[in-house]
Amino acid sequence: MVSAFEFVPAIAVLPLVSFVVALAFGKWMPKKGALAGIFATVGSLLISIWTALTVAGFLGSETVYHAELWRFATGIGTFNLHLGVFVDPLSSLMLLIVSLISVLVFIFSLGYMNDEDETGLPRYYASLSLFSFSMLAFVFADNILMAFMFFELVGLCSFLLIGFWFREDAPPSAAKKAFLVTRFGDFFFLIGVVGIFATFGTGLFATEAGFPHMAEQAITGEMPGPVGEFLSAVGMGAQQWFTILGLLVLGGVVGKSAQFPLHTWLPDAMEGPTPVSALIHAATMVAAGVYLVARMYGFYLLTPTTLAIIALIGGFTALFAATMGVVKQELKQVLAYSTISQYGYMMLALGSGGYVAAVFHLTTHAVFKALLFLGAGSVIIAMHHNENMWDMGGLKEKMPVTYWTFLSGSLALAGIVPFAGFWSKDEVLYEALIHGLGSPVLLVAWAMGLLAVFLTGFYTFRMVFLTFHGEPRSDTAEDPESVRWNVKLPLGVLGVLAATIGFINMVPVAKLTGLKIDFLHKWLVGGEVLNAEFLTGLEHYEPILKEVAGIKASYIAGGEIPTLLISAALSLGLALAGVGLAYRLYAVPEPVAHTKKLGGLRTLLMHNYYQDEYQVWLAQGVTLPLARAADTFDQGIIDGVVNGISSVSLFSGDRVRRIQTGVVSNYAALLTIGLALLLIVFGIVGGWF
Amino acid sequence: MIPLQTSNTLPDWAALAPAIILAVTALALFLIDSIDPNDESPSMLAGVATLGSVLAMVVTGWYLVAGTGMPRTGGAIELFSGQLVVDGMSLFFTFIFTSVTALVCVASYDYLSGRPNQAEYYALVLLAATGMSVMASANSLATAFVALELSSLPSYGLVAYLKNDRGSVEAGLKYFLIGAVSSAVLAYGISLVYASAGVLELAAIAEALGAGIDNTGVLGVGILMVAGGFAFKTASVPFHFWAPEAYEGAPAPVSGFLSSASKAAGFVLAFRVFVTAFPLDVVAGTIDWALAFTVLALVTMTLGNFAAATQDKVKRMLAYSSIGHAGYALIGIAVLTGTADQSYALGASMLHLFVYGFMNTGAFLFVALVEYWGVGRTFEDYNGLAKQAPVACFAMTIFLFSLAGLPIGGGALSKWALLSATASAATLSAYLLAAALIVNSALSLFYYSRVVKAMWIEDPAGDFEVSSYPTGLYAAVVGAAIVTFLLLPAFGVVSGTAFDAAAALF
Amino acid sequence: MGNPWIAIGALALVGLLIPVGMMVISKLLRPSVPEQGKRSTYESGEVPTGDTRIRFNIQYYMVALLFVIFDIETVLIFPWTVIYRSALENGVGLTRVLAPMLVFVGILVVGLGWAWRNGAVKWVRSPRAEKRKDAR
Repeated sequence: MVSAFEFVPAIAVLPLVSFVVALAFGKWMPKKGALAGIFATVGSLLISIWTALTVAGFLGSETVYHAELWRFATGIGTFNLHLGVFVDPLSSLMLLIVSLISVLVFIFSLGYMNDEDETGLPRYYASLSLFSFSMLAFVFADNILMAFMFFELVGLCSFLLIGFWFREDAPPSAAKKAFLVTRFGDFFFLIGVVGIFATFGTGLFATEAGFPHMAEQAITGEMPGPVGEFLSAVGMGAQQWFTILGLLVLGGVVGKSAQFPLHTWLPDAMEGPTPVSALIHAATMVAAGVYLVARMYGFYLLTPTTLAIIALIGGFTALFAATMGVVKQELKQVLAYSTISQYGYMMLALGSGGYVAAVFHLTTHAVFKALLFLGAGSVIIAMHHNENMWDMGGLKEKMPVTYWTFLSGSLALAGIVPFAGFWSKDEVLYEALIHGLGSPVLLVAWAMGLLAVFLTGFYTFRMVFLTFHGEPRSDTAEDPESVRWNVKLPLGVLGVLAATIGFINMVPVAKLTGLKIDFLHKWLVGGEVLNAEFLTGLEHYEPILKEVAGIKASYIAGGEIPTLLISAALSLGLALAGVGLAYRLYAVPEPVAHTKKLGGLRTLLMHNYYQDEYQVWLAQGVTLPLARAADTFDQGIIDGVVNGISSVSLFSGDRVRRIQTGVVSNYAALLTIGLALLLIVFGIVGGWF
Repeated sequence: MIPLQTSNTLPDWAALAPAIILAVTALALFLIDSIDPNDESPSMLAGVATLGSVLAMVVTGWYLVAGTGMPRTGGAIELFSGQLVVDGMSLFFTFIFTSVTALVCVASYDYLSGRPNQAEYYALVLLAATGMSVMASANSLATAFVALELSSLPSYGLVAYLKNDRGSVEAGLKYFLIGAVSSAVLAYGISLVYASAGVLELAAIAEALGAGIDNTGVLGVGILMVAGGFAFKTASVPFHFWAPEAYEGAPAPVSGFLSSASKAAGFVLAFRVFVTAFPLDVVAGTIDWALAFTVLALVTMTLGNFAAATQDKVKRMLAYSSIGHAGYALIGIAVLTGTADQSYALGASMLHLFVYGFMNTGAFLFVALVEYWGVGRTFEDYNGLAKQAPVACFAMTIFLFSLAGLPIGGGALSKWALLSATASAATLSAYLLAAALIVNSALSLFYYSRVVKAMWIEDPAGDFEVSSYPTGLYAAVVGAAIVTFLLLPAFGVVSGTAFDAAAALF
Repeated sequence: MGNPWIAIGALALVGLLIPVGMMVISKLLRPSVPEQGKRSTYESGEVPTGDTRIRFNIQYYMVALLFVIFDIETVLIFPWTVIYRSALENGVGLTRVLAPMLVFVGILVVGLGWAWRNGAVKWVRSPRAEKRKDAR
């Protein structure tokens, strides 16, 4: 029987084909390339499902797959560079998420773009297809160089799509900002990639030949030869050097996943078309960063310092972004800050050893954030592209499908039981708590994450109440434009999923009842092959977490189950408190801007803690003079030397030209003088006289 | 293939067949012209000339493949009591001369159409080629001098061929005068060498000098003056003054002929005379001629390239670049010291001259094509030419980039061979030469690109229309381009022959 | 003993000194009587017309060149004739003795024939001289 693994490359190739088709023939196609994209991504989705079933073990014994596709550089006496496929539970889950969200975004785009008679649709669908292609290929990459290549391609696509309406002022500048800020992080990532290749001679993520395993050997004592040589050449200990490598790669992650302090591009990226925002935030670009950490988790586990930094960044970002989300007036801005905040949670989970929790939150967040963005898109269509929530209100009756699905997504985001977000966020906080009890740094991160729960509940429902409840506050809100099936279908699918996807890993219920219903946990634990041969299973990670990273679980109130209950109750309580406060303040017929009461703090929050300003200051006040100095050096000295050489050449060339007077007797004279000079010099040297 | 020496199917004098064929063809052309002095059938003249040169080329090629005069078939063939010698090197260079002659003859058919005295033109070209092939075989200073004059005198006439063009006549006269001075220098140098050694045959000179040198001064001046005479032929500094004028004023096919074949002829003579007659270990106490050639090579390539960079006429730019290439080819003889792999160094120079024969002739023939159209001479006049004649411009692009050393033609590999020759020498002067080669190649890319840019990128200044596409010129240009390109993959085939031929000399 | 080049240098010096010395001595000795007639080209009473730098007819050169060529031919044939008979008597084959000289002469004959056919030996009047004569 044919194995699904043979077809894994097709998951990425199908959108690539649709990219070419949409670009070349989109103009003449009935839906300007949308259909090609939909067919391609549906194809990808089907193969992803098939792959997932195979990985689950329903379709044969082979559940993990690794193959080299194309070796594009063969090293002589050194490493090779290749493209390859690696399918394990983590990547197959991610493939499923990405292709599902892509399908839905394509369908939604029919309503958001085609029905609105936008121009340049072939370009739009081509970029969207390329986006899906890059992300899917990134997900199944088997080595860090390939991952880097597609990581960059993802960045390029985000640039193309955020700046889709390039004739207006804001989108091109937002696109540039997104590109430059993420590029800043990727710069470190690239150095990290080079460092990893230089150290280990390989970029493989998995198997015993992969770099995480070699690093593990280096730390546990069986130093592999080349690594030892490199380390002694660098003159650092294994732990120290791996921390540096990990932090370098983390630079790329922080940029892409919009973590503090490189998060500033993301709110601006809202200038792109809303379906694109959904794709960027839920499944592709932003998820890429977190996915990368999860992919090479075996490596990060070896360096506790890096883990602590990841957790701190995550916790801080979760809280920091949530506070800014509280005061925003535009619908999509709120969602943007919530995205930053939610990815902070995932980083928190990864940093505190909650591998399953992070992947779980990544999954649920993909669903409910895609839902929220598409819902917001629907509202934006209805409001004729006015995004200010203070102009909305009372849309609940006018657009029930959007309202109910949006509500489902909001409940999930706020973390209200039993919606998806509750289960995953609860697990993140629980993991951070039990591991943080033995480590103050993690505990601080946990506390920040916990505080953010309250704010999340508040800003989410402030958004819901302002948008859908109360009386309409503008003429457009009185009579919104209706949306069609192609908007409602994706909303429906995601609405149901947002309510139910959390059931794949109900850890508290599992622990309380003793039922084995923590499916995701089991999924990531993986089979024997995964842990013994490919070394990316949870069973392989857990001992390293305890022994190398030294992160151990401890409990309060006398055991695991009380701790679990306390943690769940805390987060649920805080979320409910946030929702309640939002209800009290904004669920009134005529809500007023209570944020004014915050006074100076509001100004601070509205200006995003002056993050943009300080980065602009950094750019203008520090980088620009530096760049000027470099420019002066380059222009004055380097270019000066180069220009000098060229003008000296041209000048002396000109002199040489002058020698060629055209008078033949001059030539004869010069010839004789030249010969005489040679005779004299060699005569003296040779001692003829 | 029949190895000529072992089976003795042909008499020894048959080894000179290429030169004989060239000479007979020239005489045949004179006969034809005596019968019909008014050039009423130019195609027959061009046909005979081309046929003769192609036949000579084929015979040379056959000899090269069969191994005539090479160690595997019994070593060099000496003729006329050792006055002439036929070996791998002489055949290798004869192949260069005959192929360039063939290209020039084909191209001249269109270039000369409607001009008087065509028979004389072809006859002079073939006589010069005869002289060159004898130069390649010359094994004594006397024959060397005679052969050099045999190739030079027709060249003077050829440069001045356009009798009503002031530039052409002036160039011819200057070439002749400088040539006369240089010949005098060479003849004086030969006389001084004869005074020291008492013989003129090359191997005998080395033997005589090895037995003891009485007066180092006389010998040193003699050697240096002989080198000067060869420097004239190769257009090396300070004997280069004629070159820009002659190449610019001459009809473009003649420029190509002189700058490729005539230059190569000068080199083969220099190689043979200096390696055979003045081995470095013998004359070490008198003159370190490798050092002299190092200085000449450095100055020549630098001066040629620097001057080329400031020209505004394409033909003159090519003329100076040709001087620069003479500097590159001198590397092969300049690094023949110490630890260098001597046959490799010499072979590298031979290869560069071989590739250069095609790419440089091709470039000048393209200029001939442009002159045929009457476009103009400056870089600006070439603007937008690619729109009208894409095939020829593509060929020109191959020539120029190959001249610059980009891997689009054999020029890249021959320059690389020269570089590795300097690397194997591993002396300070060799590294200087390598650095100069690299810097000058980079500089040359600048002015070669100007032509390419003008042809492909710039918009034409006026509304010039290319009226016709002359078959002969096109065939020669495209043929040269194909060979230049093919020398990239087929470099190994040629290089084997060149290194073997060079090795036989030591 | 001593550098042999010193002799050459001394010779050159003497070669220079003698003519310069003669001119200087005669300058010192002679009386100076400047007169117009002494500065003319010919001191024979003829008044010169025109410049000395006139173009000679190319035909002079053609004839001169042909003469030089056959002069040299003669120079090469002389030694050949001298050894011709003794070579034959000493058993060198006829072809080996005769053929090279026949080839040499044959080449020159081809050249001569060509020059003849192309009018090298035909004394034509220069068109400009004709014109000048007509104008007079």
